[in-house]
This record gives sequence, C-alpha cells and structure tokens, in this order.
Amino acid sequence: MKKYILSLLIIFSATSMVALAQDNISPARKQAIDSLALEKVKDLSKYISIIGSKETQFSEATRVMDRAEELFAPEAEMGVSSINNSEIAYYKIRRYFERLMALNYDRVNISWYDIHYISDLERQPDGRYVGVITVYQRFEGTSQEAGLNYRDTTKKDITIYVEKKQTQIAGRTIEFWDVMLGDVRVTETSA
Amino acid sequence: MRIKIIITLLIITSIQSVSGQVLSSSGRLKDDGRFAASTKQVNQFFRRFNAEESKEGDVRYYSGDENYRNRDLRRSFINILFDNETSDVPVELKREFLEYVVSESYPQYLTFHGGDWFAEASTVFSYEGKRQEVTLFLKLQPERLGYEWVIDNVVFEPYKNAFDKPQGDQKKFLHPLSHELGFMNLRKAIQDDPKPESYTPKDFSPDYLTLFIFEIKKGNLRFETVKDVKYHFFQIDKWYFELSQFNRPGFNTGWLISNLVKLGNGDKDLIMDYIYGSK
Repeated sequence: MKKYILSLLIIFSATSMVALAQDNISPARKQAIDSLALEKVKDLSKYISIIGSKETQFSEATRVMDRAEELFAPEAEMGVSSINNSEIAYYKIRRYFERLMALNYDRVNISWYDIHYISDLERQPDGRYVGVITVYQRFEGTSQEAGLNYRDTTKKDITIYVEKKQTQIAGRTIEFWDVMLGDVRVTETSA
Repeated sequence: MRIKIIITLLIITSIQSVSGQVLSSSGRLKDDGRFAASTKQVNQFFRRFNAEESKEGDVRYYSGDENYRNRDLRRSFINILFDNETSDVPVELKREFLEYVVSESYPQYLTFHGGDWFAEASTVFSYEGKRQEVTLFLKLQPERLGYEWVIDNVVFEPYKNAFDKPQGDQKKFLHPLSHELGFMNLRKAIQDDPKPESYTPKDFSPDYLTLFIFEIKKGNLRFETVKDVKYHFFQIDKWYFELSQFNRPGFNTGWLISNLVKLGNGDKDLIMDYIYGSK
C-alpha cells in the first residue's frame, strides 16, 4: 500500500503544473497513471503466480487472494474463453482465484511475458477514465500420477479505472489520481 | 553415429519446444516477436492505422511529436493491418486503399469518437428454453461527461420469421367502410388472421430492439454469453472495411482488416442491409 501512496504522490507532483480544476489527462499525466496501473497489474501477476503455485500453503494463498481482490473494483469479473470454445465463461474474481488454487496438478508454474500494451484512457459518463492493459501469461501444470502435462498461453485484457480523488494532508486538500482494476478478459492464444 | 543423430534431433526439438519461453533479463518470458507484432487491442489498430505509436508499440506519439502520423510509418503499419491468411482482399484493392488513406494532399485518419463505425457482437441468449444466437449492433455515443456503448440494433431469427407481411392478393385488409361498423371486423383481423401485420401501414417496419428489450424485461430472454465480436467501419470516405480478431499462430494476428470494399453511390445502404441481415 505504501508504494501505491508514493506512486500517487509522484503522479501528483508530476502533474502539479496542471491546474487541478482541469480534468483532461495530459500525456505526462497519462504516463504517470500508466506506471501506477502497470504496477498494479504486475502485483496481480505476482499474486496469480503465488495462488496458482502448489508450493503455496493454503493460509498464505488465502491471504494473497485477499490482497489480490483489493486491487479490483467491486463486481469485477473474469471472462474466460479457450481456443476450442470462443464463448465467454464468467467468474467472479474470488471464484477465479479459488479455481486456480484448486487445480488438480502436482506442480504449477505460472510465468509472464515481457510485453504489455496500454490503451488510451477514455472518459466514461460518470467522469471516471477507463483503459485496458494487455499482458500475456504462460501456464504449465504437471500431474505425475495421471501423466498429464498441460500448458497454455493466455492473453489477459485488464480493465483499469482511473479516478480523481481528494485527501487531506496537513490541512490542505490534495487531489490525486487513483487506479483500480476492473473486468478481465482472458483469451487462450495459439502461441 | 545413430546416437549423435538422436542427440542432435533432441537438441533441435527441445529448442523448438521452448521457443518463446526464453527468460529475459527481468526474469520474464521473452516474447519472440509474435505478441509485439499482434494488433492486441482495437485501440492499437487505431494507433497503428494513424501512425500514433512506435513500431514496438511502447511509445505513444502525440500531436507535435516528430513521428506523429508519419507517412512512411503509416505505410508500414497499414500493410500489416490486413488479414493476409484467410481473407480474399485483392492486393490491388489494398494498394489503392493504402494510397488513398496516406495521400499527401488529403490523408484519411480514424478517430475513436468520429462515428461511422460500430460493433457487431454475436451473443447467445436462452429463449423459450433453448440457446439462441442473437446479433447485437452497438455504437458509441456521448453521454454526460464521457462516452458509452449502446445497443443500436438487434438481429434475432425468431423475430425476423415472426413478421411476414403478405403482399398483393395475399394481403387481407380492413375495408374502407369499416368505420361505419365501429371496426367490428377487427376481431377477424386480429384474432382469426395469423398475419395481423397485414393491417399495418405500407411503411410498417417492426422495431426488433424494442421487442428485444421488452422480452428481457419480461424474463423471456436471458443473456448467456458473447461468442464473437467484429467491427464495421465507414469512417474512411468512399470505403468500407470490416475489422475482425484473428487468434492463430504466427505474426499476422490480432485485430486485422478482414474485408475491404470501395464504395460507389448507394453501396453503403446495400452493405448496411447485408450486415443487418435484411437482404
């Protein structure tokens, strides 16, 4: 949490030259928001890897699920499709993590590609901004007893909500931009 | 000798099986270029079409930047924005389109809020106890402080089949002196005739979207899932193209142009009719 507060303040300082009343997002501010959003996505990636790992204790996985859930806006969902079935299956975020944790493999290795793509930010009717960050994940599961070795690569399109908020610091009202994760579209790729 | 060959083969196959799995200095898997090449978002399609980002996609170019909308960059981008594996867009047509949009005197760009483009979502609903495909057409509209996607039209086979207004001799009617009888013949028209649409004006056109919303509200239609999405663009003057997502091995993947038509007079209406399935 500390690092997010630091990031928020960095965003504030990077954009303090812009009048606070102005709601348009300048390229400099957009870059700062992108960094914060990417930081949250990286945390999510890390949490998914921990939750999925068979070496993670149940209590630890539960704690990490709580942390991961905190990254998301309420009501966020995962929409999952595979190469064989293009229809989207919907899961609540917590349910998705629980399913990931319960996968029946002896060993699970989740890793991430060194590429991401960040969309422009678009304003929605309520004034909040919305964007999408795309990342790619590699999943490998091994089940020794059944002799199974499953692996896939999925594209994850992650919604980010960007909202201007206010806080009081030493009696002064400071405005800053906060980022929350939203719905995630998970598509199995042919890679 | 045989052992050497086997070892060599094993090394070759193991190299192939781990391609794309090499770890980068950050400890992450290194993309072998396929994900970088893929047009990963519709947003990236817009940016590439307009040359508003770097080749690698990691730098956004804004108005005033040296490479913003650079003509050579646009040429190289637009060339890779076509589906080159399954769509039959003639090379000559692609070339003509490319020259038209990168024209020095009158270049054409895509704008997100520019209108004249819309989405087609293939969805599944349950209706009368069965899974039924419903095609929804969505468009962007301004709303309060920003924008929103709204459902603009719907195509649903049971609705299409339900309205079949007879023509000519087949069409029944309420005779012109029905009013003198206090329209008592409405009973035969509406209750006995299976085609009550016969008694509607010449320009009657059923509003499927209203019906659709009504049936959702009544609980007769229940959303299940989305199967596929594509986009239709009429934003480039005198041209139409379709944008589809290609999820397959290789470098020609992501959001790509899957159909391209040069429009003559009246062609837009024909294409719209075709898209809406009315012809």
